[in-house]
Order: sequence, then C-alpha cells, then structure tokens
Amino acid sequence: MTQQLAIIVLVDVGTALTSKTLDGNTYLFDNMQFHGSTGEGTGELVTAINGSYWQDGSQGTEEVLNWLPYSLGSIPPTLPRGYHAERSRQSDERALADLRALAEKPLAGAEAANEVNRIHRGVGHRVKATGRAHGATGHKLLDVTGAIVTDIGSDTHSYPGPVITDIRGQAVDEKIMYPSEYGSPDLVTDGWYWSATVDTSRPGTYSYTMQIQLHDLVQEGGEWHWEPVTMTCESQLRIITEPRRNGFTKAGMGVLPIAVPAPQA
Amino acid sequence: MNQQVNIVVVVDVIGALSDGTLRNGNVMMVDDGTLDSTGQGTPDLCTVVQPGQVVQWSALAVDLQTPVEIRNITFLGAEGNGSNGSTPSASADGEKLDLETWTGVVPGYLAPGVAQKYRLELRMHEGEHSLLQIDSPALMCP
Repeated sequence: MTQQLAIIVLVDVGTALTSKTLDGNTYLFDNMQFHGSTGEGTGELVTAINGSYWQDGSQGTEEVLNWLPYSLGSIPPTLPRGYHAERSRQSDERALADLRALAEKPLAGAEAANEVNRIHRGVGHRVKATGRAHGATGHKLLDVTGAIVTDIGSDTHSYPGPVITDIRGQAVDEKIMYPSEYGSPDLVTDGWYWSATVDTSRPGTYSYTMQIQLHDLVQEGGEWHWEPVTMTCESQLRIITEPRRNGFTKAGMGVLPIAVPAPQA
Repeated sequence: MNQQVNIVVVVDVIGALSDGTLRNGNVMMVDDGTLDSTGQGTPDLCTVVQPGQVVQWSALAVDLQTPVEIRNITFLGAEGNGSNGSTPSASADGEKLDLETWTGVVPGYLAPGVAQKYRLELRMHEGEHSLLQIDSPALMCP
C-alpha cells in the first residue's frame, strides 16, 4: 500500500499534569479504521497494519507510520509562530499607553495607586522554559483564546503542546518497526516529527511505548517556569500479511482481458 | 524494447472526492514506455505497447496520507462499450484492493493503430462516494 498512516496522539495536558499520568488523558486516532484499527478515540488504539507478500514469500509492501501529538487545552499550533511574542508585545504596549494616560490624569494618591495596580495586573506574567515548550518560551502566559492571564492561581491557561521524545518497547526491540525523529518543514509540528517503517513480514500484535514530554507551570524564586514532565503512554500495532494476487485474474499473471476482434464478414 | 511498461496513475484524492470527478486535473497518468505514447500527464494517456510486453498499472496518491487503490480495469472493446454497466458498482467493504496487482501481457491479436480504451475504476477510502472512474485512457499497438 502506498498510503502512509498517521497516528494522532491527543493529550489532555492539564488533567494529565494534575493526575500525573497519561492513562485516561490520552486519545489516540489513526486513519486506518477502515482497514481494521480498533479503539479509535481512546487510549486503547490498536493500529491495523495490513501487509502483503509476494509469491516467493518476500515482503510486498512497506508501511510508514507518522505520529502527530496534539494538545487539548492549548492555543492551536496552526497559529503563526510569532503569535505568543506578538500577544506579549501588544499587552506591554497597552500597559504603556495606560500609564501615559494615568500620568496625564490628576488623581488622588489612593486612586492613582489602584490604577497602577490594575495596569500592573493586566501586564500578565512572563514564563521561562526549560525543555521544548513550543512557542511559549520567554513569553507571557496566555489562555486558550490568546488573552493575557492576569491571575495564575484562578485563571485557566494554555499549555505548551505535548512533545514525543522517544518511541520504544516491544515493537522496536523485536525490530518490527524502526522509529526515528525527523526534521520537518511543517512548523505545526514544531519542525520535528516521529516516523517509522514497519516490517510486515512477521504478523502479530506488538506493543510500543511513547515517551511524551509535557510542561507544567511552576513558580520558583518568584519566577514562573515551564518545567518539563516526562510521561509514557502505550499503544499497539496489529500486523497481518496476505498474499498479493493479480487484479485481472485473481491469481497469477495472464494475457490482458481485451476482447478478440470479431471476424470481418 | 523493455519487457515491461509501467503506467502510474497519480491521484489528488481530496480533489477527486471534492469535485466528484477524476477529471479537472485530479488524475494524471504517465507511462515509461519507449514508444510514442500520447497524453502523458493527463487522464487521456494512450500507451503504445508491443504484443508480448507486460503492462503494469499502479496508483499513487499526491497526498501520501490519502488512500487510493485501483478497483478495476475493464477494456471497453472496439465500439467503446464496456461489458459492465457505465456506473461503478457499489463498493463492497472488505475488498482488499491493496493486495491486488494490475499486471497483464499484451495479446498478439490487437489491430495496429487502434486505441483499446479502458475503464479505470479507483477506490478512495470506502462508502458510496468512494468509487470514481474514467473511460479515457487506452493501450495501442503501433
């Protein structure tokens, strides 16, 4: 088959960080339900890989898998790369304009202090990052609508998207698939993606483990940081292989089925 | 002369399913024959072949994550009428088209210079709108 398979790993990042596990907080999808994948949209996805072999027993098709991690509760990765920086800059400009307006207003001490506090809250919080917190490094904390988060304790905020950092386990150990991380021109995936070729010559069900990095918001020495948190989630490949056959004859190769011309009278 | 001629059907699956047609630039066909085939890069490819040569068809998707398989190839005869009906039969789920290879030997009785048109049926994913066909490509002996 020439079609490549995509496996979407959708993570409820906030809940996964709170409950410290990806179990029950990961939703897996692939584009092969019509070829027999099961558990679509759950954490129990079994990806069907239908291989084939030639008459001499050699592998007839090569399968390629691509993994794409997505986040529930994050600013969409499809926004321009500069979105976070732009929103941070806009909020600084707004605060400066508000301060300028305040300076021109004759306000009493207490009133002026309240106003300054309001402007200060509206500035939001810059968050530093270690690890690979996509698009959020050094910028202000935003919510999923792109608004500046003013009160970290009570407001909900957007998380950096999940990052796959390794794929391993039975399917890799037994050389059923050969996963690797590749550079990509697609910045939706942060310029990287995991892909694998699959050996379809050994049918069976094989498990594998994805190591996924999430980022939790923590305060340290008065500063907010995105701290990388590594978790793992399991999935499975179910490989079958069947003999290839000729579409015209449903068996071996023959003469093309073109009608013999009728004899001229 | 090569013993085998390969015909590759390149399909923009999303375009074809959106338009409901394999025309409008959604299919282009090319072959690697050494004779003077015409219509390369179009759905009107006429592949010039010699008797005894092996012809192999394969389908490729422009977007590698979209599914496309050849479902059937039917030669339409001299009058251009297929032995089958003109609309593709309903797609049967569970057809394992990915296992099929479309290969055959050019028979010795083809009249030179007469284009043998064929109906190419493609299946993209499954369901009632998944089958589309064209009647325009052909094989021809020089």
